[in-house]
Amino acid sequence: MSSETTTGPAEPTGSPVERLHVAGLHSPTDAVLSVRDLHVRFNSENGVVHAVRGVDFDLMPGKTLGIVGESGSGKSVTSLAIMGLLPGTADISGSVRLRGRELLGLSDKAMCEYRGNELSMVFQDPLSSLTPVYTVGTQISEALTIHNPTMSRHAKEVRAAELLAMVGIPSPNDRLKAFPHEFSGGMRQRVMIAIAIANNPRVLIADEPTTALDVTIQAQVLEVLHTAQEETGAAVVMITHDLGVVAGMADDIMVMYGGKPVETGPVDEIYYNPRMPYTMGLLGAVPRVDAAEKSSLVPIEGMPPNLLHEPTACSFAPRCPLASEACLAGEPALAPVPGVPRHHAACIKSEALGGDVDVLDIFAAPPVPASRFDAIPRDERATVLQLKDIRKHFPLTKGSLLKRRIGTVKAVDGLSFDIREGECFSIVGESGSGKTTTLLEIMEFHKDQDGEVVIGGISNKQAADSRARNAMRRELQMVFQDPTGALDPRFTVYEVLAEPLQNAGMDRQAIRKRIMELMKLVGLQPDHVNRFPNQFSGGQRQRIGIARALAVNPKLVVLDEPVSALDVSVQAGVINLLDKLRAELGLSYLLVAHDLSVVRHISNRVAVMYLGKIVEIGEVDRVFDQPRHPYTRALLSAIPVPDPQVERTRERIILKGDLPSPLDAPKGCNFATRCPVYAALPPAKQEKCRTLEPPLEAVAPSAAARALEAGPVSVPDQRFACFFPDGELEEDMLVVQDQADHHAP
Amino acid sequence: MLRYLARRGLTYLVMIFLTTSAGYLLAVSTLKPALLEQERIPRPTPEQVATSMRLKGLDPDLSPWERYVEWLTAIVTRWDWGRSPNGAYINAEFGDRVWISTRLFLASIILTLVIGVALGVYSAARQYKFQDRVITSYSYLAYIVPAPIAYFLVQLGAININESVGERIFFVTGISTPGIGPGWAQFVDMLAHYAVPTVAITLVGWGSYQIAQRQYLLDNVNADFVRTARAKGLTRNQAITRHALRVSFIPVAQSIAFTIPAIFAGGFFAEKIFAWPGVGSWSIDAISLQDVNAATATLAYGSVIFAIGAILADFATTLVDPRVRVQ
Repeated sequence: MSSETTTGPAEPTGSPVERLHVAGLHSPTDAVLSVRDLHVRFNSENGVVHAVRGVDFDLMPGKTLGIVGESGSGKSVTSLAIMGLLPGTADISGSVRLRGRELLGLSDKAMCEYRGNELSMVFQDPLSSLTPVYTVGTQISEALTIHNPTMSRHAKEVRAAELLAMVGIPSPNDRLKAFPHEFSGGMRQRVMIAIAIANNPRVLIADEPTTALDVTIQAQVLEVLHTAQEETGAAVVMITHDLGVVAGMADDIMVMYGGKPVETGPVDEIYYNPRMPYTMGLLGAVPRVDAAEKSSLVPIEGMPPNLLHEPTACSFAPRCPLASEACLAGEPALAPVPGVPRHHAACIKSEALGGDVDVLDIFAAPPVPASRFDAIPRDERATVLQLKDIRKHFPLTKGSLLKRRIGTVKAVDGLSFDIREGECFSIVGESGSGKTTTLLEIMEFHKDQDGEVVIGGISNKQAADSRARNAMRRELQMVFQDPTGALDPRFTVYEVLAEPLQNAGMDRQAIRKRIMELMKLVGLQPDHVNRFPNQFSGGQRQRIGIARALAVNPKLVVLDEPVSALDVSVQAGVINLLDKLRAELGLSYLLVAHDLSVVRHISNRVAVMYLGKIVEIGEVDRVFDQPRHPYTRALLSAIPVPDPQVERTRERIILKGDLPSPLDAPKGCNFATRCPVYAALPPAKQEKCRTLEPPLEAVAPSAAARALEAGPVSVPDQRFACFFPDGELEEDMLVVQDQADHHAP
Repeated sequence: MLRYLARRGLTYLVMIFLTTSAGYLLAVSTLKPALLEQERIPRPTPEQVATSMRLKGLDPDLSPWERYVEWLTAIVTRWDWGRSPNGAYINAEFGDRVWISTRLFLASIILTLVIGVALGVYSAARQYKFQDRVITSYSYLAYIVPAPIAYFLVQLGAININESVGERIFFVTGISTPGIGPGWAQFVDMLAHYAVPTVAITLVGWGSYQIAQRQYLLDNVNADFVRTARAKGLTRNQAITRHALRVSFIPVAQSIAFTIPAIFAGGFFAEKIFAWPGVGSWSIDAISLQDVNAATATLAYGSVIFAIGAILADFATTLVDPRVRVQ
């Protein structure tokens, strides 16, 4: 245990001066990075923002610390303070020691000795983090030049190619001459990692390194980070809001809230034995992709604290269901949890929270809502939306004056599905798979479209004049991804909600009544109708967006990534609301989301799209538990689960490369270029995949099922498009994490 | 790259032809030099005027289209841009004028660009500090003050220097002193004539570049890739000069295209105030003298300068920005 990373000081109580003193005397000398009592304050127009309030941790060589928190919790500011990259106006105090040498207070020039050398960082957005005007090779070589001025040009080139190969970029020697815009997002993040590990750093800080990436690419990048850590032996600080991402990687976790660490400890302790209500809430708020049972998510009501005011009580108390008088008397310090070594929690009730306390009881998660349609078999319910062979092809042209058609981008290629009353149908897939185009095609509703869209019995082929379209709009409404961008900032909530009603020809009295109803329905206070959108939090804004969509009583609501812009704790509340509305109002949803855990939680049926085609479709639990198509299997295995034990042992399929350009789409199966099954097939069978397009076919009932049932066999609701669903997987693409370097404490 | 530039060059050639043709047709149907001839004393008879015009190739009796064809044929076959109503040959005068304009503006254009961009970088690196406030305030002032007034002020300053020294160091008008022999004396005389207009035009001109460069650089100073560069171990200033500067220069390079022609062809005030008879003053004079051929020639010249500026900008953009490089 002593070789493990320790979080939290030995004696956390006492004045900052004392703690610094203690740190100086007792900090383990073998820690590569020790942070003590780190405070960061910014001057803003409204006053001093105290963004980080006392962070302590020790990072041991080769270990990984996960810092988890929501936006505004101070996790990124902490990392930038360690790197010395905060603006000069930031007021930083405390101590940051890298192998015993103090970093705080060093000049920009002195700090440069450490940055990129012993201490390096990978940032969140790979698209903007590389200089667009220099080649990738130049940018990697630069990192080498700065710290090794004597290194020869040739040596730098060799090393740069070696680094690119290490992070898994094919033909690295040629790619050195490429510019960042010639790389995809995932490739750019690999380059960022290559730059960060160029000088074999002792500490690597990764700030949300995969947040901007697709799940399959996220799995690749996490794997690369893992390799990089093994190659360099660096200690890693992994900053994330996603509890799944760190579950498999981290040795220790620090949960931050309101600028302060509220719980620290070994990873298993935090996930299986959390002692701070906020951590418990966070864990309960994320849906699990590997769990079929439907329990409501834990919503954490309220908003994160305003860091302008120095808290006088526990900063989580206003949102905490367990808060009592005692919680308001001063902010609790990070104290050791009795009986559990190295586990600290900043909660006066942490002792009582151990054992088998159920999160759902503490946070009063609402009961699972039941829809009146649930009892009716699917076949007997009315169809609210039907797509028949929808196609959207974009011509790709070349030349400025005389355009030549050089190819076709098949954004959506022959899509058919239907949605019945009271069900939630989801479309999942990587970016570029055609999810959004599908939604746009449905909203387009035009006679000249390729394919038929039937909404509530109105077909785009028969009546697509403005009257029919108006009638259609009353059947179908949309909720958008970014709640801030989708609401007019100059409209009050009342005006936002009144607009669709006026459009429907309602009178003033009726509109007023309906708006009050809507506000209550989505859990907002009716007397807030005269406020502007910017006076609400992100979650509340999304509720306004939902209310607007529901105003005209539609049968079908199209949800385009409805929770992806929200923090985890807020997301849970919105998901619960959507669940409740579907049950109470008998709504149907068409959901597009990249977060498969959310999809599993609220959907009844799901379609997996790849390059404009559905590769697998069916009942959600069947598809998630017994995926047949290799792409579905890869997609599901790419999702990290917030459960360290599962993460450490499960087998993962890591797809090679990115989504191919639609121009290079193969003739036969679209997925053949990345398919783990295809790669392991004998050439004769590969030929079939390459030349023939697999049709979307129902899963044949197993022999056992046939034997059991007498008479007609019920066909399970699952169809997929693959010739060899039971084929062996290519071993190169399978990854099982090594048990040896992640022994459970 | 060469093919790309050749293609752009061809596009601009077509553009120059179109603007010049349109300009000629407009000039020939509105400008009537014959009317001015009639104000002479003794007043010539209409026949005399018509004959004199016909001899200079400015026959007022032909239709605009016929004259256009005649004019175009002369240019294409003999590179003859016609004559002015006073009998002067456009070709001869044009060469002189362009040479004068070029000498007047070339040095200041280069100085304006270099000083403007350098000050923009300097002030951006010291945002809101004293130096930045002084430089940027000056740039806005230079923006606001009408150019003629600024030129007069510089002239006054030069005269003050001359007076306080008690000797004529600077010439505030004119191109050269007549009758000075070649050699050192001529060189000193040239410098004395050059100094005042060059300084005046530069002082007024750099403001726009400074403001633009400062703005674009500030947009990039806090860019993610500058943070990456700093995380690699560059100091803030190194990261800015190596990474942000080049990216921020892309839009500035593009704006050059549109300032060069404005200075060259629109330098009317500078040419008048410093008494350098260049293209700018010629174009204004041509219109007041109802001189169809001279007016069209200056217009064609303006288009050519614009095309050169635009090609230079394309070239500069291609140099600094790999994203627009064509394979």
